[in-house]
This record gives sequence, structure tokens and C-alpha cells, in this order.
Amino acid sequence: MVVYQRETRRRPVLLVVVIASLVLVTLDSRGNSVIATVRDLAREAIQPVQSGVDSAFDPVRDAAQGITGYGSLKDENARLKKEIADLRGQRLRERAVGSDVGELEKLLDLPTIEDATGVAARVVSGAPGNFERTVIVNKGTSNGVEVGQPVVAGNGLIGKITDATGTQATVTLIDSPGFGVGVRLENSNERGIAEGRTGERDMRLNFLSNPRVDIKKGELVFTSAVENAAFPPDIPVAKVKSTEKPRGDLEPTVVLHPLANLTDITYVKVLRWPEPKGG
Amino acid sequence: MLIRRIRLVLLVITLVVLQTAVFPHLRVFGAIPDLCLVATVAMAYEEGPQRGALFGFASGLVVDLFLASPAGLSALANACTGYAVGVFQGGMVRESRALPVVLGGIGGLIGGTIFVIVGGISGQAGYLSLTNVRIVIVASIYDAAVAPLVFPFVRWANHDPDYGYNRRR
Repeated sequence: MVVYQRETRRRPVLLVVVIASLVLVTLDSRGNSVIATVRDLAREAIQPVQSGVDSAFDPVRDAAQGITGYGSLKDENARLKKEIADLRGQRLRERAVGSDVGELEKLLDLPTIEDATGVAARVVSGAPGNFERTVIVNKGTSNGVEVGQPVVAGNGLIGKITDATGTQATVTLIDSPGFGVGVRLENSNERGIAEGRTGERDMRLNFLSNPRVDIKKGELVFTSAVENAAFPPDIPVAKVKSTEKPRGDLEPTVVLHPLANLTDITYVKVLRWPEPKGG
Repeated sequence: MLIRRIRLVLLVITLVVLQTAVFPHLRVFGAIPDLCLVATVAMAYEEGPQRGALFGFASGLVVDLFLASPAGLSALANACTGYAVGVFQGGMVRESRALPVVLGGIGGLIGGTIFVIVGGISGQAGYLSLTNVRIVIVASIYDAAVAPLVFPFVRWANHDPDYGYNRRR
């Protein structure tokens, strides 16, 4: 049976929902606690279903990724990847510790990445939207994960926790637009800010402490040791991909390539930073 | 009426679970479809602009809870898309198998464009960029591809056993 209903109040309905949406956008942008609570509750509620579906669709995802053999081979592959990443990270950190700044920091008894304990976590999902660079990990506040904590993946910094519920957390990746990391250059120890760029997987090195410094292609950048820094010092972040000084510009254009493969992350470590007092 | 509402709620929950748990692993050129946006287009096609806008607002609000962007952004994009598709559907030729594909693609373009423009204006870093234009286009093609799968589910959920299809003609 076909029922025809004449819609007499089209515009008021659209106007109401548009105004309601804009009010919500404004409130959430200002960090409204009610919306944050509802968001956390919704994520908590859907998490068990999400995990079940996630496990159920594992084979589909594997097929989509072109992997023919899974199960033990997949686990072994993930473990080997983690080992390789850990070894690379260890080698790169040794380069950092070997530099003058690393030595001085040790002499001055400043905190280093080795001082930071962490929580190992597994990436369970990517971003559910098209316009954000995040991953979801399977550890949350019940495991000691908190908003603001840095996240590493063996061979380098991958981001920081920007949202956490009891059982899972969202990691915003370092190549997200607007994401900035205080870094130092490997050879010169000059400091700057590594920033994500819109639509690019590479980052830019901005606000150099000495814009005339000689920067070599392939040179590494590490998180810098600054008081109350958001990240522990000496974590490898990226390597210099290219550098040029356009005529008339005050600063060189330095393109950085993140060391961690941000498109294929399986295991991560959430660092407790700053380390809790007495713990 | 109650059964229809329960079905619609189940439909939105199912689509959100698929959106958050499955499709992040099925990216094509960096894009995934917006299932609730496609469902909104289907609802607008079935019911017209008013219910299209309301369904888009409600479903978008649920999706917003799982995104890093401010709550209300998807709700706004979906509501406007639902309204626009609902207005246009009045003059369209109905019986065509390609219609869900066409509407899904158009809806994806409208919704994606509103999302990035309002997101950019509201201060989200990097939303207003050429890369996002590419992502909106790829995502809308993906939306068009999944639309023939989503439309029948929306039609089923919207079916009221007591009154039949409340479809505008």
C-alpha cells in the first residue's frame, strides 16, 4: 500500500538539524565534557561487538590485503616485523646516544627513553573516517594508558594518545596535519619542530633554531630533550628526505620521512611519560 | 511503527560497526565508504527530504561518536545530503538498476564536500586541501559501489509491516 504524505515543513526541519549540528560542532570543539562522556560510553559499548566483528572479518581483510597464507604465518610475520623494528630502533638510538648531546644528557642525568616504561598494545583498527590519521589500539585507561602519552613502534615515534576509553585508545599519527614534535638534528643538534602536512605522508622541519645550519640528506632527527617535553628525548622520529633553500626564504625547506611505516603498524608501545613519581 | 524504528536503529548500529571494524581495513586509495551516508541517500530516495534529513542527522550523530572530528560534523553533512537527495529524487526516473549507484555517488560527493568545508571552517587542521578533494572523489566512487548493497537493507528496515512501504511517488 502506497501512502502519500505531503511534507509541509521541509525547511524548518532542515534548519533545526543544521543549527543543532553546528551547536554540537561548536560545543565539541570547545571540549564539552558531556559529549566526551557520551562518546566514551558509545565506544565502550560497541567495543565488544567491534572486537568480535574484527576477529570474524580477519580472513576477509587478509584476502583483501593479498595475503594467501595466514594463521601461524601471519603471527610469525608480525613477530618478526616487531623484532626487526626493535633492532632498527635500538641501532638508531645508539646513534643518538653516541652523539654529543646524548652524552651530555647522560652526564646531566636527564631522563631518556630507556627510563620510560610502557604498555605493549596491538593495533586493532585504522581510522573509521576518511579525513583523520589515527589508529585504534587494544589497551585503554584500565591498562594505564592516558591521553597525551607518546606511542612508539620499535623503530620510531608514531604518535600520541588523543583519546582513551577503558579498553581501547586512539593514537593520532605524527604525520597528521597540525601534529608537531620538538626534534633535534643528529649531526648539528640544532632544534626545530617536525610537523605533519596536509595530504602528505612526509613531514616538514620548521622553526629551526639556526636556519643556516648544514643539513644532510639521510640525517636523522630525534625527539629533543626539553624540560616538560611531551615526548621522551632521543626517540628516532624521521630522516631528512630532501632539503633546499629557496631564494629569499628565511628558512630552508626540509622534508622529513617518518622512520616508522605508518601505514602498516601491528604492535606499538605506549610510553608512560612523564614517568609517574615514585613509580 | 515500533518494529520499523527498531529495524532502523539496528540498521544504523550494524552500519556503524561495519564502518568502524571492517572498512578501515578495506581502504582503496586511502578512502573508505561512508555507509551511513549511503543509507541516508537510500532513506531520502524512499521517503523524501524531511525524513532523509532527520535520518541523516541521527545516523551521522552516531558515526560522529567514533570519529576524531567534532561531533555534529557528520550529522550536518548527512542531514544536508539527505535533504538534497530527497528534493532531487522527486523528479527522477524510478525504475533503474543504476539509480542506487548514481545516487550513492552523488550523495558521497555532496556529503564529503560539506564535511571537509565545514570541518575546515570549524578549525580542523588540513581539511581544506587538494588531497581531500581526491579523497572525497574516491570515497564517493566507493559509496556508489556499495550503494546497491546498502539500499535493499534500508528498504527492508524502512518497511512497516502494518502499513507497507511509506514511499513517496
